[in-house]
This record gives sequence, C-alpha cells and structure tokens, in this order.
Amino acid sequence: MTYPTDAAVQVRSAGPPGDLAIWFFILAELAVFGAFFATYAFTRLNHVELFNTYQQHLDTRAGLINTLALITSSYFVVRAVVAVRCGRPLQCARWLWAAIAMGGVFVVVKLFEFSVHISAGVTLSTNTFYMFYLSLTFFHFMHVLLGMVILSVVALKAGRGDYTPAEHTGVETGASYWHMVDLVWLILFPLVYVMR
Amino acid sequence: MNMEKTASAAATRTWLVLVALTLTTFTFGVLGYEGMGLVAAALLIALVKAQLVVDHFMRLRRGAPLWRMLLTGYLFTVGALIAIAFAVAGL
Repeated sequence: MTYPTDAAVQVRSAGPPGDLAIWFFILAELAVFGAFFATYAFTRLNHVELFNTYQQHLDTRAGLINTLALITSSYFVVRAVVAVRCGRPLQCARWLWAAIAMGGVFVVVKLFEFSVHISAGVTLSTNTFYMFYLSLTFFHFMHVLLGMVILSVVALKAGRGDYTPAEHTGVETGASYWHMVDLVWLILFPLVYVMR
Repeated sequence: MNMEKTASAAATRTWLVLVALTLTTFTFGVLGYEGMGLVAAALLIALVKAQLVVDHFMRLRRGAPLWRMLLTGYLFTVGALIAIAFAVAGL
C-alpha cells in the first residue's frame, strides 16, 4: 500500500515529533536517569578503589555489543519514520521489526551478563558498585523491554496500513521514546563500563 | 523520493559516526587507559553521541528549539556533574 508523497512528507508542524505528552514523559525519565548517574558519580568519590576494581569485572565487549545494537536499532527506527512519511507503511513496519530485533540482541546480551553475575553470587548487597551497576542496568533494561512492546504495537499498526504520510503520530511517538532509551545508554555505557 | 534519499543518507551518516565514536570509547577501555584523560575523552564522546541522537534521530534540531535546548541543557548538566565528581575523585 502506498500513499501520495506530497506536502505531507514535509515536517508537519513546529514542535517535537509525535505526541507532546511523550516528551514530558521523556523529560521525567531523563531526570530520573540523570539523578541516578550523578548519584553513581558522587558515591564513587568515597569508594574509588572499590569502583575501579569491580568495574574491571564487567564485560566491556558485552557493553560494546549492546551499544552498537541500540544505536543500530535507533537508526532503523529513523528509517521507519522516513518510510512512513514517504507513504510506505509496510516498509515502515519492516524497519520497525528490524529495530525490535536489535532490541532483542540487547536483551539477550544483557540477560547473559546478568546470569554471569548471578551465578558468581553477585547481588545488590555484594558491594556499593554492584548495587549501582545492577540497579542502573536493570532499570534501563526494563525501559528497553517497554520500548520493544511500544515498537511492536506501532509495527503491527503500520503493517495494517493504519498510518499515512499525513497522520503517523504513533510512529513518531514510539520513535521518540526509543531514542530516549538509546540516549540514556550512550551515557550509561562509558560511565559504568569504561570511565575510571 | 529526493526527500526520502536525503533523509535516509543523513541518518546513515549519523549512524556511522555513532558507531565510530562507540568503537573509539571501547578501544580506550580495552587498552586499559585510566585517569582524567580517559574520563574527559569518554565523557566528551558520550555527550557528542547523545547530542547527535537529539539533533538527528529525535529530529529536534529543526522545528523544536525549546525541546532541543532542554535536552542539550540536560546533557550539559549531567555531563558537568559527572565531570566534577570524577575530577574531585582524581585530586
């Protein structure tokens, strides 16, 4: 199914893409993650040796794979938005499923990381570093799962042809949320896995 | 079609830059770099990547100056807090 690609492919209106409400939600989410990041950094002040030691127990390769997965997933979502704005809802749905698959890569790698830590007896109470590492990454992990659910709903609707170049707020809204999940990880990865 | 090609090519360029910057940060970690030089480089790269996502993936660069300012301000604030904490820890 295709639609005329006329002026509708232009930027629809001033303001952020998608439903305005999602942007207030994004701001709230960013504020929570920002507080988490700052608390991690300032708590580290009193435990520098501990943080530096246990940070080296993390699998940086897993962090790399997950970063590449989320970046690529975000890129696929951008392509989905471009497709729907150009009147190609089925192509939009395919890009979204590809983005969800990359989210799946993130989930599998993260679950593998969690299982390694759990089998080694690591818990939230093992030490302050692991308390932050586990809670921060699990909190973000839950956001990835929610984002995948949102993208799946949008992909199903796009596949049914529910979106047009003139009206595709749902795609833009889901995309904005997913980019927020990506953006948070771009700070989390170097902060927790690399910086010491 | 031109709009589609232009938008897709711009997104692809942004993605490639993000991948290259990610590999740079990873290389720092693998090489075992430590200290303020690493912290400054890794943090700066992270903030540049995040701003690229805000500008080109979230598409706030055009048409949403207030929201771009809010997110850029957020990145600046979080980046400054992290930088201060790591700088004090390194003293």
